[in-house]
Amino acid sequence: MSERPVLITRRSFLIGLNLSAGGLALGIFPAWSRADEPSGKSGKAPTTADAAEEAKAPGLNPNPFVHVGFDGLVTIVCARSEMGQGVRSSLPVLIADELGATLARVKVVQADGDAKYGDQNTDGSSSVRNFFDDLRRAGATARQMLVAAAAQRWNVQPDTCVAHDHVVEHRPTKRTLAFGELSAAAAKLPIPAEKSVTLRPRAELHHLGKELPFIDAAAYVTGKAAYGADVRVPEMLIAVIARPPAVGGKVLHYDPAPALAVPGVKRVIALPAPKAPYAFQAWGGVAVLAENTWAAMRGRAALKITWDAGENGTYDSDAYRRELAASLQKGGTRARNLGDVDAALAKAARVIDAEYYVPHLPQMPMEPPVAMAHVRGDRCEIWASTQNPQEARSTAAKLLGVPEERVTIHVTFLGGGFGRKSKADFVSEAVLLSKEARVPVRVQWTREDDVRHAYYNAVSTQRLRAGLDGRGKVVAWLHRTAFPPIGSTFAKVKGPTAEDLQQGVLDLALDVPNVRAEACAATAHVRIGWYRSVYNIFHAFAISSFMDEIAHARGQDPRDVLYELIGPPRTVSLADLGIGKLPNYGAPLATHPVDAGRLHGVVQRVTELARWNDRKREGRALGLAAHRSFLSYAACVASVVRDPERTVRVDEAWLVLDAGTIVNLDRVRAQLQGAIAMGISNALFGGVTMKKGATQESNFRDARIAGIRDVPRKLHVEIISSDGPPCGVGEPGVPPVAPAIANAIFALTGQRIRELPLLRALRV
Amino acid sequence: MLCAMRRVFVAVAIVAAVAVVMRAAMLEAKPTQVAQPTQPVTGARLRGPEAFAGIADPAERSRALFLEASRVLTHPRCINCHPAGDVPHQGMTLELHYPPVVRGPKDRGVVGVECAGCHQDRNLELARVPGAPSWHLAPIEMAWVGKSPRAICEQMQDPKRNGGKTLAQIVEHNAHDKLVAWGWEPGAGREPVPGTQEQFGRLVAAWVETGAKCPPEEARP
Amino acid sequence: MTIRLRVNGVDRTVDADPEMPLLWALRDILGLTGTKYGCGQALCGACSVHLDGQVVRACVTPVRRAAGGAVTTIEGLSPDGNHPLQRAWMELGVPQCGFCQAGQLMTAAALLKAKPRPTDDEIDQSLAANLCRCGTYPRIRAAVRKAAGLPEK
Ligand code: FES
Ligand code: FES
Repeated sequence: MSERPVLITRRSFLIGLNLSAGGLALGIFPAWSRADEPSGKSGKAPTTADAAEEAKAPGLNPNPFVHVGFDGLVTIVCARSEMGQGVRSSLPVLIADELGATLARVKVVQADGDAKYGDQNTDGSSSVRNFFDDLRRAGATARQMLVAAAAQRWNVQPDTCVAHDHVVEHRPTKRTLAFGELSAAAAKLPIPAEKSVTLRPRAELHHLGKELPFIDAAAYVTGKAAYGADVRVPEMLIAVIARPPAVGGKVLHYDPAPALAVPGVKRVIALPAPKAPYAFQAWGGVAVLAENTWAAMRGRAALKITWDAGENGTYDSDAYRRELAASLQKGGTRARNLGDVDAALAKAARVIDAEYYVPHLPQMPMEPPVAMAHVRGDRCEIWASTQNPQEARSTAAKLLGVPEERVTIHVTFLGGGFGRKSKADFVSEAVLLSKEARVPVRVQWTREDDVRHAYYNAVSTQRLRAGLDGRGKVVAWLHRTAFPPIGSTFAKVKGPTAEDLQQGVLDLALDVPNVRAEACAATAHVRIGWYRSVYNIFHAFAISSFMDEIAHARGQDPRDVLYELIGPPRTVSLADLGIGKLPNYGAPLATHPVDAGRLHGVVQRVTELARWNDRKREGRALGLAAHRSFLSYAACVASVVRDPERTVRVDEAWLVLDAGTIVNLDRVRAQLQGAIAMGISNALFGGVTMKKGATQESNFRDARIAGIRDVPRKLHVEIISSDGPPCGVGEPGVPPVAPAIANAIFALTGQRIRELPLLRALRV
Repeated sequence: MLCAMRRVFVAVAIVAAVAVVMRAAMLEAKPTQVAQPTQPVTGARLRGPEAFAGIADPAERSRALFLEASRVLTHPRCINCHPAGDVPHQGMTLELHYPPVVRGPKDRGVVGVECAGCHQDRNLELARVPGAPSWHLAPIEMAWVGKSPRAICEQMQDPKRNGGKTLAQIVEHNAHDKLVAWGWEPGAGREPVPGTQEQFGRLVAAWVETGAKCPPEEARP
Repeated sequence: MTIRLRVNGVDRTVDADPEMPLLWALRDILGLTGTKYGCGQALCGACSVHLDGQVVRACVTPVRRAAGGAVTTIEGLSPDGNHPLQRAWMELGVPQCGFCQAGQLMTAAALLKAKPRPTDDEIDQSLAANLCRCGTYPRIRAAVRKAAGLPEK
């Protein structure tokens, strides 16, 4: 077998190719493969011939997404980053289905960062829901051209021809022509206008909603998938950076000598300190550049640096929690208002009141951030495990003061992203260092760097208050939420906007006459960023815990109370919600309304599966939660038991998702299984704490995530079958998991835990 | 369970600090202090056998010597790997070992997570993984967690519970074993056990010479 | 210092600091990038390889320890990606981002070698220190059982 290092040769490295993606692993649908993949992963070293062939590959090229070669090979470009969600096994299939291609003869290549692909930011559970029709149109365009070419050849009407199984068939005569035979002629035809392109009826999309071939499976299980850190070019140095403990801190003094004394260390370079707002700037500090990672790590450890703590150097999680609570006390901007909450609360027979706290959560993708940059003159080539290549590209261009066209960015496989890798800070570091060192520089983040210098999910404190009438019905609902929003990373802001509350607060269907939600002030002292399902994590935790509290206060079945609170199945209008507008994750309300019926539906199904009605069983307890996010609806039931080693443990879980049309059923199921694991991590162990601006945790020992023993053997996920418009699937599974566990812990132990991580607060 | 343990240890740490100051007086006045059995002892000083020369009665001296030696034996650095269950401990508060490992059939972990899969022949500075030759757990019959000095004393003399060792072998083991030695060189950021291995070896030897007597159940160093 | 070792059946020499972790010798010097870095402190298992048949965390194993020894990495688990575990992994679609999977597979392979028909507890115990942030654990369990020829659950 091959033992050859994966080395990208100088020549292929110089050619900024779209199709070869700079020599990174390409996915091929399993049944089909080529001996000389330009990735070099096939065992043959990449040659310039391979790359050049790719570059001028002739054939039909109607748009950036599809290419049909003379040999009939269909190349489909995946413009979204693969980070475990299976996007490369999903998006291309839509195109292939529209085209009528046989998957075994389809090759998927990863797009570089380029505006011609439209929005490439792989975030917000948007890849399928935003691109569903666009990508189909890309495939349909190519199909229409192939059909037109065949019709010309046969001198028949195009509408008597159909494309399927990689051929165009003339229906009346059953004659066929293969795609490969048609591509040259088709390439000469005019590209049809968008309006004249017709999409196939759903029934003809043969792979849609099925268990599709998993394109990258073989690369993953043989170690051949190339991630950011797997890219190697000649003369490259590896950088490991000592960063100030708090963001905005500065290097006061450092001595490079001990680091330079480490064999293999080549350079020690101080990075500029960033200025607020920090956005995607490098964090600053001192970088050690070395021939290998070990030397760079040892060099960094040898550095002696005196820091100026900077403007966030006093940030303290305990004090901040009190600050947030005080902010709630004061109240905030009205984001949602219906009826008169104050009057209703004053008249209420009973008021239930609770405060919830969720700490900063780090994303901790299994692969810490890595980026490599090579700056030469006014050109720059970058390889990065980035969720957002266009943003990284423009960040690099700005740093270098060159037009974007001078920057080529190749997207590698991502070893997980979860929002962390949509920020380009690590790309900025690589660009700055390569510019200074004049060689290709790959910046390797250690796990400690990742835990300490993430863009954390916002820390939040929330207060919920419900007024009940004499019969226990909720007549008033007040929700105050205080958290430093992501906006603070990009501008000076004092707290969340009303729009920030779209994530779970504004779009909560409530059958309550008086409702108010307020966004309360909170200033950021760390970089805040997206983390899988974002603010929904803490909003779902508070809301679903609170609904459970109301049920127990009334001595009723939590499911019945949940049904009562969200009200009968219906579409809830903006007026009914008590809001003027809803960002709605960028989707129109007409196609993606707030639908209490779908929320009801997932609750009904998940409780059926979990046999909610006979939930009272010795030694275990069930908890329930449901939440709308990213236009989808998810409900979770968690079963919790006592455990001698870990106090309590989740021993079974059910998760049901309604996300409209599903493209790749198996990958979506995998997402839901993963969402349960991540929900368990958030619930039981999650969170980092700050003292003097510095993150106290550093690695998996103290920033724990769920291991195999923390995830139940009995784990059930179900996807509601639907042909509604597609909604998000990567994130919506996460929010209901933590509150379902908290509610189950209450049912088991009688302890109402109003903060994460649950295990820290649980008393035994 | 962990939380409970942590609380106990905070309390005990205070008791231990006081105990260091009062140690001499207590030894003369016969120990009567009742404390939690898994009491950790802090403080770097360990007294050698010379310090006990003044106790005339050899049996009494033997007991005092063992009690002093038990400051090492009951230190978290030692008892962490003498767990009473299947999972070793770590840290000064006897947290359960992370990553989650188990004893396995030969006290060296199970396939996939063997002790030697991570622990090397010496401490790793950057990775913070402690190491010494033949890193492994004490067999379950040598469990010390939750035991009083007297219980450990009896255990150490019982061939069924000391790995079939003679007292001479016990002395040798304590004085020279490389894994035992780790307790004094646990690596950066970890509190070492008190004294030196040489001192400890002499204490154990003197204890054996004076008849290997065990202190009363309630005695604590 | 020059260190000789056998990697995936091929004799190799590594000229490196003897304290350099095997992980970096494999990745940076020998170019075998299938073995991953996830924590560097023996906490995540992403770097699991076999040293003389035993699972070790390459990120904390000084390369000197491998001198004269035989190392197997994911690249050498099977000649053609057809180890029963790799097949089961593909059939059940275990990986998500894939980053932890080399480590998972190497640990699972050692498990099946020692215990061809492992119990559920044995599977969980042996894989307890191989973290997967994507949460592929349910499928890992199922795929180990499948590769071992145990009935589906
Ligand atoms: S990288 Fe070695 S165990 Fe995590
Ligand atoms: S598959 Fe992504 S970390 Fe395991």
